[in-house]
Amino acid sequence: MSSYEIADEPSPEAGWENLVFPPSAPLLSMMWCGAWLAWPWFIVNARAMGSPTLRHEAKLVAAGLFGSLLLAFTIFTLVDAGVIESRVALQFALLAVTTLKLGVAYTVSAVQSRTYAIYQYYGGSSQRAFYVLMVGSYVRALVLGMSAHPIWLAVMS
Amino acid sequence: MESRQVAALVEQAYRARRAHNWQTAIDLLKRALAIDPEHAGAHASLALALLGARRLHAAAIEVDLALGFGPHNPFCHYAAAAIRRAQRKLDDAWRHCLVAMQDDDGDADIRVLGAAIKSLQEDNDGARSLLMEALELEPDHQGALAQLARLELDLGNLAEAERRIEEALTEDPSDVDAHVIAGFIVLARGRVDEAEQHARFALQEDASDRDALRLWAAIKARRNLLLGMWWRWNMFVGLRSERSQIGILIGSFVVVRIVIILLGAFGYEDAEILLRKIWMGFCAYTWFAPAIFERMLRRELANVTLREDF
Repeated sequence: MSSYEIADEPSPEAGWENLVFPPSAPLLSMMWCGAWLAWPWFIVNARAMGSPTLRHEAKLVAAGLFGSLLLAFTIFTLVDAGVIESRVALQFALLAVTTLKLGVAYTVSAVQSRTYAIYQYYGGSSQRAFYVLMVGSYVRALVLGMSAHPIWLAVMS
Repeated sequence: MESRQVAALVEQAYRARRAHNWQTAIDLLKRALAIDPEHAGAHASLALALLGARRLHAAAIEVDLALGFGPHNPFCHYAAAAIRRAQRKLDDAWRHCLVAMQDDDGDADIRVLGAAIKSLQEDNDGARSLLMEALELEPDHQGALAQLARLELDLGNLAEAERRIEEALTEDPSDVDAHVIAGFIVLARGRVDEAEQHARFALQEDASDRDALRLWAAIKARRNLLLGMWWRWNMFVGLRSERSQIGILIGSFVVVRIVIILLGAFGYEDAEILLRKIWMGFCAYTWFAPAIFERMLRRELANVTLREDF
């Protein structure tokens, strides 16, 4: 007898179990390592636990990525045009990029947490994020150093 | 044969739901729906169990399925009213409640739910009249008595609230909601120890019950202002909706960052460094706060000894 599936229940795929982490891990990576690690990690995590809200989470991540890109592009266009002149004004403007990234990351984490709670209830296991975060913090400088363009730094940090 | 099996599973799930064993009810109903995926009552019952388990999104989907398979089934409308009420879609909830009441005019539960919706719409007279109707249909209806006590408490009629809650607790001495209401009533009367007994009982039954935790915080605040502030802070952060929690965290972050930028700009570097450290400490605290809070609550509830006459 096949089981009835409730809309919010995850359906993890075989072979992906070792890639499930608590949703707080990618959120922490956003603060610790940067968006370059957090955004893909959220998507992989959702895929690994078979999240029924994968598409919603992917859309949020895309909004975070492209939103921060657009915001950073606007800010540095205003810098080039001489509208934003002082260091303090630039700091305030870049705060908007950080706030957008953090806000989206918190939201994705909250959405993913609901699925994760059910995933755990049905006996799903997860990995410890410590080593990934450690590696991420070492690789951070390398990734951010790939380009000296301020937009790259604002979006990926 | 199959329909009898489904009916038995739905009945078992109903009992599990009444006992607040949400996950058992969900598992039983999943089995029922695997046999008959178009059973409107099973979908509606599953929606209520999911609501109990705080899986509101899934509950809303299930209740829509229930209404699709049983558009004239009063129980489906009852479930829809309960889900819409939880979603704070009160007009829609009331509409479903009316349909359920029209189709099943002898049911006290629907009136109790209707009263809860009316209370949220701040229509106390409407709520009271529905609760009185429910008590006419079932004079011992525990939920109606408890809700009437809550209504009287909100209106400041403590004597009437106390009388109603005593009746409710006589009907079901183990009901968590009734104990919480009783706790608030005796706390309003200044009987803090008695309120604590009610809170302990409720939290033992369900340590995640929001109202019981609010009662606990109110008791702590009555005894010790500082301790009360700590508990209230935990309530403030921990019991809000996800959206609201994210708003608070991001709002705090932005405010602190603005102050840090301004301190740096005006040359107060020492103050800027100090604020950065305090903020880091606060961030670390918020990361561990839920675990600390849970441990504190466990410690408080360990070795609970209720009075013999409780």
